[in-house]
Amino acid sequence: MSEWMRKVLESKRQMRKQIAALPFSEKIKILEKLRDRSLAIASNPLRRRSFHRG
Amino acid sequence: MKATLEVINRMRTDGVIGKYAIGGAVGATFYLEPSATLDIDVFVSFQTAPGSSLITIAPVYTYLTSHGYKAEGEYMVIEGWPVRFLPPGDALTEEALEQAIETEVEGVRTWVMTAEHLAAIALKTGRPKDCARILQFIESGILDTNRLDSILSQHGLLAKWEQFGHRFFGDDK
Repeated sequence: MSEWMRKVLESKRQMRKQIAALPFSEKIKILEKLRDRSLAIASNPLRRRSFHRG
Repeated sequence: MKATLEVINRMRTDGVIGKYAIGGAVGATFYLEPSATLDIDVFVSFQTAPGSSLITIAPVYTYLTSHGYKAEGEYMVIEGWPVRFLPPGDALTEEALEQAIETEVEGVRTWVMTAEHLAAIALKTGRPKDCARILQFIESGILDTNRLDSILSQHGLLAKWEQFGHRFFGDDK
């Protein structure tokens, strides 16, 4: 693994650690945003069309 | 979700449900970074039907529909969140419910299963998303290994834990 990739992975790990350390209420707000985004993606007509085509 | 939890707490105060604990992805969010989920799994001690030993969800359904909430498949949609009320199906979930941790969401009191119970339940369930959650728990370093060992041993999950280790860590674990 290159040094650059190692740094990227370490930085991602640190970011995840920081988010995990947030208060539960803050993390629930993030969860709600993630849910809204998932629902928006799921209701996209293009996605539904491709889903029906299989 | 605050409003959803307020309704669930009211159900408890009104005697419709007993003790409850949040599990699944929302429960795991207490310990880990949030991961997208569309529903809330609430493990709850139910009343038994009068004159029967059968556990029934009927009072929950009746209470919520009388308060204007609707059922959607296996869920009750409460203040915008689909909530799945689950009875503790085995000794492991029963213990997880009993030992749940009290916390709060925006000032609303609630209960969440311990990280070790969530990991043990995920191991037992064994779907790909459960395996991913266990890996997140391991990577976070949040699990109390003695406590987890004791839970796994008590509920006959040590062999499954070994298999999980071999599958994901090979000879490293």
